[in-house]
Amino acid sequence: MRYEYVTGNIAVAEASMTAGLKFYAGYPITPSSDIFEYLARELPKRGGHVVQFEDEIASINAAIGASWTCAKSMTATSGPGFSLMLEALSLAVITETPLVVVYVMRTGPSTGVPTRSGQYDVLQATYGFHGGLVIPVLAPSTPQEAYDLTIRAFNVSEELRTPAILLSDAVVAHTYGKVAIRERGEVEVVDRAKPSVPPESYRPYDPLDGIAPPMACFGEGYNVLVESLTHDEKGYYAPRTDAQRRLMWRLYRKVVESAERLFDYSAAYLDDCEFALVSYGPTALSARVAAKLLREEGYRACLVKLRTLFPLYEKGVRELLRGVGKVFVVENNVGLYFRELRGVLRDKEVISVPLIDLDVPPPQEIAGVVKEWL
Amino acid sequence: MRLEILIAGRGGQGILLLGHVLGKAIAEHTDLHVLGSETYAAETRGGDSRVDLVVADREEEADFIKVVRADIALFMHQLQLDAYKDLVGDGAVVFLDKSNVTEIPRRSWRIYAEPYTDIAEREIGTSRVANMVALGHLVGVTSIVPPEAVESVIRETVAREWVDLNIRAFRYFLRLSPHRQTEE
Repeated sequence: MRYEYVTGNIAVAEASMTAGLKFYAGYPITPSSDIFEYLARELPKRGGHVVQFEDEIASINAAIGASWTCAKSMTATSGPGFSLMLEALSLAVITETPLVVVYVMRTGPSTGVPTRSGQYDVLQATYGFHGGLVIPVLAPSTPQEAYDLTIRAFNVSEELRTPAILLSDAVVAHTYGKVAIRERGEVEVVDRAKPSVPPESYRPYDPLDGIAPPMACFGEGYNVLVESLTHDEKGYYAPRTDAQRRLMWRLYRKVVESAERLFDYSAAYLDDCEFALVSYGPTALSARVAAKLLREEGYRACLVKLRTLFPLYEKGVRELLRGVGKVFVVENNVGLYFRELRGVLRDKEVISVPLIDLDVPPPQEIAGVVKEWL
Repeated sequence: MRLEILIAGRGGQGILLLGHVLGKAIAEHTDLHVLGSETYAAETRGGDSRVDLVVADREEEADFIKVVRADIALFMHQLQLDAYKDLVGDGAVVFLDKSNVTEIPRRSWRIYAEPYTDIAEREIGTSRVANMVALGHLVGVTSIVPPEAVESVIRETVAREWVDLNIRAFRYFLRLSPHRQTEE
């Protein structure tokens, strides 16, 4: 383990290598590009490959293909690029392909302010692809969290056989911080389960007793079917309601029922709290300072910072905020994740604090808005 | 312990390098935690350049990327002093480049004002290392990080042909007793 003073983007790149990244495919886009640049220099030294493709569509499809050779794969992009990746993301969902997509949000819509920040794409990160399922979305607020959550995103994607999103943004991407960088062996790294049966009895989409099916890769002697059509456990096309129901519920449940294990948050002042500021990403840093400012003025404010945004552990969030009166959801958009929390905290007054800012909303502004509601 | 440090000046004065060297020295050579952010204008010269550092002994206290109330501030130019003076708290330790700052606001700060740019030009031979003269002063007075740590980061960070000049500049105030100056 060593400490380095690096940005969130470099922390992501370092973490991906510790997690076992072997293939990176990408197309440059601000503010994600330095992940690509750094890996282009460093990953080949560790036996991995980095390829620039003609666009984001090719990039994510190449990453999916590489994952089926059992190379841990990643791509990174921002809003316009992620929009192009959505069709293939859906392919990764139905084929249960482990894959990490680093989504470095910037000011949008469209080209917006490409070098600046925002949290406009928090719902797109999991609801954007077609098919109506959920994929894990983890949101760091500091370079250290970017490092830790990138490793976690790889682990989750391997364990559940799903694409997972690391939802960063321009602020985290470019903020420097002291980051504990660990080597393989110093941190838990999960690898996908491999089949334990002989090739003739292998059924590629049968989870057996586990959460996700053991995954044979190309070149290992197993018949591998990468099937985007609705399929049965053998991977054969099965255009039937019973097969569709079985597949959909299994793909849905393997993620949603992992919510408790994936639940990750931190809190400040929660044991003496009348109203909570709930936030995520770098806005949560600002909200923490806002809570501190409010407490200096005598208000019993606290902060809950969510690091796992999807799947949302509803019971956990309810229990966490049980003793709290009002809940303020602070985010740098028009009030998006607020909708998720309002649905979960139906017995509470949940107030949206949507503060659009090209960087992070200032703590004083957050505190001011909150006071208006008290 | 939690400290907010604000470094600001005009583009071309080496503000980002100064802030990066200080942040890296703190992160990699002390037990302190640090978050740092850089702001700079699109122009190569003349715009606002600013580095915010939040330093704390506990990781969760290094909790924000912007200065809210600076405990330590360094202004290399009057424009940024005027623009950001309200971010500096009472009792803060403030360093000013007297070569570029003429009007010092009446505040309850502990002020160290020295002509960093003139010193760099006169004593080191180029005003380009004024940032390191100032950094040496800041490190000498505040002791936030051991000077050897800063020098090791300078050696790692600065282009080889500039290392010696930067280190000579950095040592200027450390060789003198840094507290020799009268507080303004």
